[in-house]
Amino acid sequence: MSGPPSLWWIDWRLSRAALVRETIGRFLFFCLLGSALLSLFLSGGGSRFLAGRYAITAVLRAEVPSAEAEGLARKVAALPPVRSAAYRDPEAAWKEFLRAYPGLDPLRGAGGNPMPGYIEIRIRPDRLTGADVGLVASTLRSVPHVEQVLAGEAWLPRLLRAGRVASWVCWGIFGAFLAGFFLVGRLQERARAVALAGDFSFLAERGVPAGRLAFYRAAAAAVSGFLLAAAGTAAGGGALFLFLGNDPFLEGVIGPPSDLLLPRTVAAAVLFSCASALLSAAASLHGWRAARSGRK
Amino acid sequence: MIEGFRLGIFSRGTTLWDGLDFAFGDAAAWLVAGPPSSGKTLLLSTLRGERRPDAGDVVVSGESLYRGNAARARAWRASCGHVPEQTVADARLTVGDLFRRSALAGGGVRESERKDRAERLLEMVGLPGASEWRIAELSISERVRACLAAELLRGPKVLFCDGVVAGAGIPWREMLWGLFRALAREGNTVVLAERTIPERWALAAGDAEPVGPFRVFRLPVPGAVKGEHG
Repeated sequence: MSGPPSLWWIDWRLSRAALVRETIGRFLFFCLLGSALLSLFLSGGGSRFLAGRYAITAVLRAEVPSAEAEGLARKVAALPPVRSAAYRDPEAAWKEFLRAYPGLDPLRGAGGNPMPGYIEIRIRPDRLTGADVGLVASTLRSVPHVEQVLAGEAWLPRLLRAGRVASWVCWGIFGAFLAGFFLVGRLQERARAVALAGDFSFLAERGVPAGRLAFYRAAAAAVSGFLLAAAGTAAGGGALFLFLGNDPFLEGVIGPPSDLLLPRTVAAAVLFSCASALLSAAASLHGWRAARSGRK
Repeated sequence: MIEGFRLGIFSRGTTLWDGLDFAFGDAAAWLVAGPPSSGKTLLLSTLRGERRPDAGDVVVSGESLYRGNAARARAWRASCGHVPEQTVADARLTVGDLFRRSALAGGGVRESERKDRAERLLEMVGLPGASEWRIAELSISERVRACLAAELLRGPKVLFCDGVVAGAGIPWREMLWGLFRALAREGNTVVLAERTIPERWALAAGDAEPVGPFRVFRLPVPGAVKGEHG
């Protein structure tokens, strides 16, 4: 035997049982954290929920022909903040009215259909801001065929602020869990460094620098942290995919399952894995330093 | 060649010894005998590059351990084996764990090869099938022999043994006598630190060189040319 010892996965080689237990625990934690991350990322906090329930209504003048109204709806749908724009002719509007207020059929007998046609505009969840809603509303108001725009501008800012606060709270809780992961990881790393202190001093006596040991332990923690986070997020994302496919309410709040496969969602998962790798390495280094200073 | 020049150690607020010169030639087995608390363990630590002497210097193959290149000093330590005086620090481990970490310190070795060599070494020191035994359950003699076997797994060029002969006990002296001389014959250097030298070993070694509180013996190695010492 000769040559410098390889210190990769040294903890694994010295203490497999403890490391297996920790790895299983971290994987399960990353499954939960990964599914929470994807849910938060796709839902945008409460944005998608709000966007699903919020609509701008552009009431059209009575004389606007259906073809022109549909053309206008298509133009509105092409605006960047708009997710969908659907024209409802006066007949459909009347039926909706009756569904909402049954028993008011006699109103029509007096002078025909009193309901005008309208365009229902839905905003994209990621563009549900005061500025974008204002842009769509002002664009619609400048169109001569539009008689009135109902955008709830009086109460919308309060609603959006509440949505932002809810989003911050959700991300804050997520961050707290990440911080908890770091603290628990640091404790685990410290405990392992204390348990393996005899082995490390054995190696140090035989010419292995302590700094090199710490570096390789942290590097292994980073690699395993990345892989565990990636695997946990993939598993959590898979579970989320199944839930979203089977639960329309969840789909309305979080988004369609296909959004999990979008490049930006994958990029978020990769970023999360990288952050987990950094946190794991930092926990390893802190645990190592704490164990060594505790020994002195 | 391991040389100590004007070595001095200050410990517990007093000068343990000062101005001592040592020279341990290669491919030989050396025994440093000294009374209790004379600093034998400190001397071995200093020679291994673990403990900087308070005076003087240690030179290995012409390179200072403490004032020279740090990488070479580390390489020197990596080439050394060390069997310490027995403590309970490793009591949680099994004998197999000793071999595992020894293999780790020595660089890459396949697990099957390690197990095979460990079994043969354990058999050699009279502990066949002891891989799964816990250190806490071993006697002092068994611990000493298990640690010695684990160090030999890496095939160190220089082996430092602290109290191994006394720790192993009288029934194992002949085995150790043969082992150390065989290691020296194969080109390795063995430095033993003991309170006393077994009578038969002293007779075979001849006159000792007095160095401070120590007496330095060179054990006879069959077929080797006698070298110098401090």
